[in-house]
Amino acid sequence: MASISMRPCGDFRTRYADDTTIFPDRAGRNWVIVGLALAAAAPLFLDAYWLELLIRIGYYGIAALGLNILVGFTGQISIGHAVFFGFGAFASGYLSREWAVPVWAAIPLAGAWTAAVGLIFGLPAARIKGLYLAIATLAAQFILEDFFARAEWFTGGVAGSMAAPFEVAGFALDTPERFFYLVLGYVVVLYLAATNIMRTRDGRALVAVRDHYLSAEIMGVNLTKYRVMSFGLSSFYAGIGGALYGHYLGFVSVEAFTILLSIQFLAMVIIGGLGSIMGTLMGTAFMVLLPEAMDGIARGIEGSPIYEALNLQVGLNFLKEMAIGAAIILFLIFEPDGLAHRWRQIKAYWKLYPFSY
Amino acid sequence: MKTTLLLSATCALALTSGLAAAQDKGVPIGHIADLTGATASIGKAYAEGVADALKYVNSTGGTKLAHETVDYAYDAPRAVATYRRWMSSLKPVAIQGWGTADTEALVDTVTKDQVPYFSASYSGALTDPNKKGPKSTKAAPYNFFYGPSYSDACRALAQWSAEDWKKKGGQGKPKWVHMGANHPYPNAPKVACSEYAQELGFDVAEPITYSMGPGDFTAQCLTLKELGVNYAYVANIAGSTTALLNACQTVGAKVQFVANVWGYDENVMKAAGQAADGVVVAVRTGSIWTDNNPGMETVRKISAMSDPSGKTYRQLSYITGICSAAYMAEAVDWAAKNGGITGPNIKQAMYQTANWVPKGLEGVCLPSTWTPDDHRGLLRVMIYQGKVTGPTDAKDVSTLMSDGTMSLNKVAEIELPRRAEWIGY
Repeated sequence: MASISMRPCGDFRTRYADDTTIFPDRAGRNWVIVGLALAAAAPLFLDAYWLELLIRIGYYGIAALGLNILVGFTGQISIGHAVFFGFGAFASGYLSREWAVPVWAAIPLAGAWTAAVGLIFGLPAARIKGLYLAIATLAAQFILEDFFARAEWFTGGVAGSMAAPFEVAGFALDTPERFFYLVLGYVVVLYLAATNIMRTRDGRALVAVRDHYLSAEIMGVNLTKYRVMSFGLSSFYAGIGGALYGHYLGFVSVEAFTILLSIQFLAMVIIGGLGSIMGTLMGTAFMVLLPEAMDGIARGIEGSPIYEALNLQVGLNFLKEMAIGAAIILFLIFEPDGLAHRWRQIKAYWKLYPFSY
Repeated sequence: MKTTLLLSATCALALTSGLAAAQDKGVPIGHIADLTGATASIGKAYAEGVADALKYVNSTGGTKLAHETVDYAYDAPRAVATYRRWMSSLKPVAIQGWGTADTEALVDTVTKDQVPYFSASYSGALTDPNKKGPKSTKAAPYNFFYGPSYSDACRALAQWSAEDWKKKGGQGKPKWVHMGANHPYPNAPKVACSEYAQELGFDVAEPITYSMGPGDFTAQCLTLKELGVNYAYVANIAGSTTALLNACQTVGAKVQFVANVWGYDENVMKAAGQAADGVVVAVRTGSIWTDNNPGMETVRKISAMSDPSGKTYRQLSYITGICSAAYMAEAVDWAAKNGGITGPNIKQAMYQTANWVPKGLEGVCLPSTWTPDDHRGLLRVMIYQGKVTGPTDAKDVSTLMSDGTMSLNKVAEIELPRRAEWIGY
């Protein structure tokens, strides 16, 4: 594992199984449980606006985790992640609309379907690396985007299509309060699954492919198999994220899955920290909350000279997009290992206080 | 440490950002606008018209309306997300919408939630409240719009073109083509209009695609030239029309362009200059900014809400935005006096007056009639033709219109028959 944990004295391991636990110390595990309890209680004291933001962090976080598995853990690159997200959304909507598949089954099926598509588009990864792979995934972005715009039977063409709301035995999860629990459940399950994968043999193989593929190949790791599997796994996560997005919004349209969204996913992963599971969630939260923070600031300074000077009523949209770009650049310069690294530094500072060296 | 401070500052700001927006007291109205997206060239003017009209209504008595404007940048999912957010926060009794894609996506939702939706999309699919028409695809009982539908405006333009062909002494069958982007808004009138054009005796060619944003449309203009097209229906918005007109002038394509209601206005005339001479456009209002009548006096007072000097030239879309807001405001007023301001009451209010013109806007907003079975409010289409006699780059639109270099002249007024089979598509 890439993390260095500072365990207190007396906390030692006696079995190999203890060495590979997800939470290295009891305090960390307890904090996570407290956090989950707070999250479960969130609909009681947060209003719909905040729950919507948390739901958005949830489904984008799942998709971003897929990208992190691909980029952070396997060292590949993908600029086509948005269309896999979109494919999941369209597939789930299509299954629930045309084939009357209940939504609780349509979401995992859509994930599996997207994984299959991701495997196909991941095949070039067997032969090419780096910038060339980036262009190949860019091809996936444009091919699937065009497919979405034309395949009226699947997506409704340029007009978009409706996705049925999540219903279990007549109980519909169509308000933010109820849908929040569904997203929370999926986030917990999928994040635990990703952490688990990373500590299995396959996960270690993926990291080996990233770190030194030549040595990995010599050791017996089948590069093609793991590279393509990484694409499939990442698309599965993107598909689930997309399906949740589709059923929450109720309406899926090809306009939402542009290359700009692919770049935003990359930004989430970079800002959060490549190769860090927890970092993905932090990066996603940052990317979702940044435009909202700017909205809040703009509303707060409405009417003031700065507002007029920047012409914020019209300029705010542009400023938001500029802020995303600026965030990526600033993080790459000052914090290339992302928020996860910064968080570890903060934890280390306080653990070693006053001897922080 | 510095990074930590930066991060904590961002988080703190994020936490303080969730403050509610509507500070005014009044009936909550939602306003979805495109101020920065693909259709911002006309969206901004229309949104200003709506906002100024609502401000004017609040200042002259009548039910106070508190509207919240959200810029969705022509991104349909963002509009749907805004609507969902409003349903739990603002809870609007009516919404001033914008684009075709998002309006059509929200039809079933606003019907379920009973929120009257006044769109700036005039898609034919929104005109059938009960899905009775033979070609209707959906029931849209809560969708209203002021103006002729895209299909009806296109039919009127086809009718004008047929008469124009006869007047010019054209021989044989004239050729008609639909030009637009592959998007719900330009696609809306395709089927309806080509059917009527064929009925009128046109030879309808395959539609030509060109983007909504400005670009190099030389290829499309060459196609027009080679096909020998006589009348080309321009389905996109004003911004791309400028590029199209310039490209076709360069290529030397001699086509009579007939533009949809959003496709041509004073700004296009200024931007394209001589290339914009002679283009015919369907207009939704009875007057344009340079006209003088009692209704335009009210429009000037409304314009003064955001421009006290009165110097800004207000294009066609601005005046239409005023009409859309005015009908909604009068409907809310009626509902307030007849059972309370709720969605269903505002819907009923829309059916109360036949040949309805909002007070103070006579001559500007054309008499419209909505009925419970037919949401085609206006079947009278004003056909205007632009005339550009000199160079337009030096002066501003106001000066160019007042000194006669540019002018928009009414060439026809077409009243379409209210055919039952024409509803809903």
